[in-house]
Amino acid sequence: MLKYYHPKQVERSEVDFGTPAVEGSMVNLTIDGRSVDVPEGTSVMRAAMMAGVKIPKLCATESVQAFGSCRLCLVKIEGHRGLPSSCTTPATEGLVVQTYNAEIAKIRRNVMELYISDHPLDCLTCPANGDCELQDVAGEVGLREVRFGLDGANHLDAETDDSNPYFAFDASKCIVCSRCVRACEEVQGTFALTIAGRGFESRVSAGQSEPFVASDCVSCGACVQACPTATLIEKSVLDQGQPDHSVLTTCAYCGVGCSFKAELKGNQVVRMVPDKGGAANAGHSCVKGRFAFGYATHRDRVTTPMIRAHIDDPWQPVSWDAAVQFAADRITAIQQHHGPESVGGITSSRCTNEETYLVQKLVRAAFGNNNVDTCARVCHSPTGYGLKATLGESAGTQAFDSVESADLVMVIGANPTDAHPVFASRLKRRLRAGAELIVADPRRIDLVSGPHIKALHHLKLLPGTNVALINALAHTIIDEELQDQAFIDDRCDQPAFARWRDFIMASRNSPESLSSAIGVSAEVLRAAARRYASAKNAAIYYGLGVTEHSQGSTMVMGIANLAMLTGNLGREGVGVNPLRGQNNVQGACDMGSFPHELPGYRHVSDDKVRLSFETAWGVKIGAEPGLRIPNMLDAAISGTYKGLYCQGEDIAQSDPNTRHVESALKNLDCLIVQDIFLNETAKFAHVFLPGASFLEKDGTFTNAERRISRVRKVMPPLSGKADWEATMALSTALGYPMQYQHPAEIMAEIAALTPTFSGVSYDKLEAVGSIQWPCNAEAPTGTPTMHVNEFVRGKGHFEPTEFIATEEKVTRRFPFLLTTGRILSQYNVGAQTRRTANIAWHDRDWLEIHPQDAEDMGVVQGDFVLVTSRAGETVLTAELTDRVQPGVVYTTFHHPESGANVVTTDNSDWATNCPEYKVTAVHLKKVVAGSAWQTEHQHFSEQQRRLLAPAKTRNSHETV
Amino acid sequence: MTQSELDHLIKMANQIAAHCAPGASEAVAAEKAANHIQRFWAASMKRQLIAYFNADGEALSETAQAAILQLNA
Ligand code: SF4
Ligand code: SF4
Ligand code: SF4
Ligand code: FES
Repeated sequence: MLKYYHPKQVERSEVDFGTPAVEGSMVNLTIDGRSVDVPEGTSVMRAAMMAGVKIPKLCATESVQAFGSCRLCLVKIEGHRGLPSSCTTPATEGLVVQTYNAEIAKIRRNVMELYISDHPLDCLTCPANGDCELQDVAGEVGLREVRFGLDGANHLDAETDDSNPYFAFDASKCIVCSRCVRACEEVQGTFALTIAGRGFESRVSAGQSEPFVASDCVSCGACVQACPTATLIEKSVLDQGQPDHSVLTTCAYCGVGCSFKAELKGNQVVRMVPDKGGAANAGHSCVKGRFAFGYATHRDRVTTPMIRAHIDDPWQPVSWDAAVQFAADRITAIQQHHGPESVGGITSSRCTNEETYLVQKLVRAAFGNNNVDTCARVCHSPTGYGLKATLGESAGTQAFDSVESADLVMVIGANPTDAHPVFASRLKRRLRAGAELIVADPRRIDLVSGPHIKALHHLKLLPGTNVALINALAHTIIDEELQDQAFIDDRCDQPAFARWRDFIMASRNSPESLSSAIGVSAEVLRAAARRYASAKNAAIYYGLGVTEHSQGSTMVMGIANLAMLTGNLGREGVGVNPLRGQNNVQGACDMGSFPHELPGYRHVSDDKVRLSFETAWGVKIGAEPGLRIPNMLDAAISGTYKGLYCQGEDIAQSDPNTRHVESALKNLDCLIVQDIFLNETAKFAHVFLPGASFLEKDGTFTNAERRISRVRKVMPPLSGKADWEATMALSTALGYPMQYQHPAEIMAEIAALTPTFSGVSYDKLEAVGSIQWPCNAEAPTGTPTMHVNEFVRGKGHFEPTEFIATEEKVTRRFPFLLTTGRILSQYNVGAQTRRTANIAWHDRDWLEIHPQDAEDMGVVQGDFVLVTSRAGETVLTAELTDRVQPGVVYTTFHHPESGANVVTTDNSDWATNCPEYKVTAVHLKKVVAGSAWQTEHQHFSEQQRRLLAPAKTRNSHETV
Repeated sequence: MTQSELDHLIKMANQIAAHCAPGASEAVAAEKAANHIQRFWAASMKRQLIAYFNADGEALSETAQAAILQLNA
């Protein structure tokens, strides 16, 4: 049998160098007789580790700056008086260091003796037994006796705070080393912890001595990871004990793509520990990736294939073969009846690159049409369109690291602290170090002002006026002659620039003309433009607040124009950076999931490209684009589109105008849903193929910085098949056999057919960890920064961006603007996070409403409010807050019963059909009960649960 | 085809015509719009739009109408 990449075993004890790495010119020093070269300013402790000499330590750890409080790490330095602590002493040329002598040994033992005299001696039953630095150091220094009895004043009765769902704080074991405090400040940037009191009384405290869960803590776990003792510890370790092996993999939540060690006992994940070597996250994580993995083994998982003739019938559990055959027969019958174009597929940004590639291949080769689309349609399709038109490649331009060289960061329509938390921590670190920040968002996001962070400007624009804003900024830059003319002359298309210049200089695009539409004064707009243009390195980060508009693509082009205009492209610290929502949005787009593009963003009408795929796949591919998701739904309602294969997406919850989606789904003759849960869409399905969680399969994800990272199987798929295997089975049953033995073979095919991926292979990923595409002969190790000497399209192309307001306007009937977003603890439709303890932070979707508006309507905190739009109505619970401006309300869409998308309309981006989630004109009214849709939804969901019940019971009998 | 599907097609065509070459001459705008529809719309959608244009076309903007004349589907 062929042998493929088995899960990589990671050393559990990674080397901790004690203090962070620094950069500088090299100096030479001698430590215990060993000569070592290190960058100047490196701590003596780190230098010693680099020379292979380990110095005992407690308060120092590599992820945070040294503090020098425990005095264990003292050393002797020739020619210096006393014994300085090595963690706070910088290395300089010629130092001669001695790390051990009798005097040092005695002091270290005394220090340890003091620590231990105020520490419970329950090592054998302590949850950190085997993973405790206090224990280790006691051994290292040779502690043999504790002369001060435990009967003196001590903290042994201090109480445990277990208010956080995922970790406990047992104060009796705390040695007040402050590693947790520094981790919260420096790594996470939240400043939730302090050392309260002085001397013997000093204690770690969350906020104003609150329980963790009530404090500012965002449960990222950085403090737990930094704690050397059992004081801060994962509850899963308390329950299950220390893990015994680990597998390196990639987070399956957001587009940051953090690298994790899944630490296991057998097949069971005990905890997830962010990997210090992970290029995207450098050892940090957020609450979702680190803690919210319990959904993977939740009892709601459906693990047997199921079929039914009609959606009112009970589900019937069947074998894989039977389910796949049933699906194939129905699809074939539909195509015979309604023509080859009457079926299609939807790929998922939550699935791996290999799985996505296979689904589009199945649609193109086995269904024989181009009707394949992906959920990026509803989030970042305008990014693909806009960046391709201006710069030449449908992707962000930088690596996350780049933010460390930015002098000014402009965040537009993104909420990184909630949606891309680990990137937000990096950004905040850079802001604390002095970079300036401009936020453009209708709502006051956390980044606007926080501990040691304050935005220079918060451009509180009205929803729907992004393009006006970007035009006003560009106009100012030309008007005040702040553009980088040399860059424009050298790098950009001149006739296009001249046309654009005429367009942008028209007086209708001046800040003065646009200010009232935007809702921001002309002076502030001009000031912001000046700062952006005059910063040495200015970077733009943007999110769905840019794309999910009827002018989403225009805005993306406007952003690219602004960056070209100021020469902020092609080097570190600058760029145009889309923050992607789901983990593999970038990858799903790269893999040819769009109906008009083959893998690598190449149009289906390109004969040469088509030919290469036709030759490799042995089929004919149509030169005309296929249907996009909204077009599929329209055609389903019209009765010309009858069959859909939907992998890992929940369009019934995530797509706009729910009623429209529901009637389309009800019209299908064959809906095949592949998912780990019976999601909202599956309630309309005829075939259910059980999906595999990211823990159950091999593959790769590509994050927002184009970084391809491995996903590694840590347990066998609960249903017996990983998703790529299910797709192969379906394709084979349809008469187009697929036979891959491992996802590595699928990647090899992708690399062979896609020029930007030609250098990617599992072998290389194994060797280097992760790769940023393009990766090919010209860039064998990948491309962190794009467009360095030349744009991918050759010359940068300025595109005129006329501000054409959306049709969705406030009127007397619909006087408020509703905008939508997401929050930290929940993810997308919430299918995963709602099935974890994260529910403690967000048990429902709230309607944020300004106190003034609330008062006018007689609404108080917690009241039910009926939200009505042109599309539909739903009832949400009011949350009074001045984060939103008067006239604007805001909600999230993490819970299906909220029906946020019953209200959103079918308006969409002109170029890509990306729905306009961010602007809906609504009417608000205080009510006492749920909406008609909510009652219907509840009945339908209950009915579907009943229809699932027999299958679930049978299933559990079979598996016992 | 349902009325709602047709309404969507008309709305999208008008949107494209308005957004894709703002400020340019009618001829340039129509050409760009035609090109956009050609590259991003499925054949069935183009056929339906052309059929509507031939039968009625009232709801289409002038640029959109000029664009449809250039479509070959
Ligand atoms: S979990 Fe994160 S935010 Fe909370 S206290 Fe620890 S480091 Fe700070
Ligand atoms: S909780 Fe842990 S990291 Fe924090 S001060 Fe106590 S021992 Fe140190
Ligand atoms: S930031 Fe994103 S990728 Fe990283 S742990 Fe959190 S959800 Fe996962
Ligand atoms: S490790 Fe250096 S003083 Fe604590």
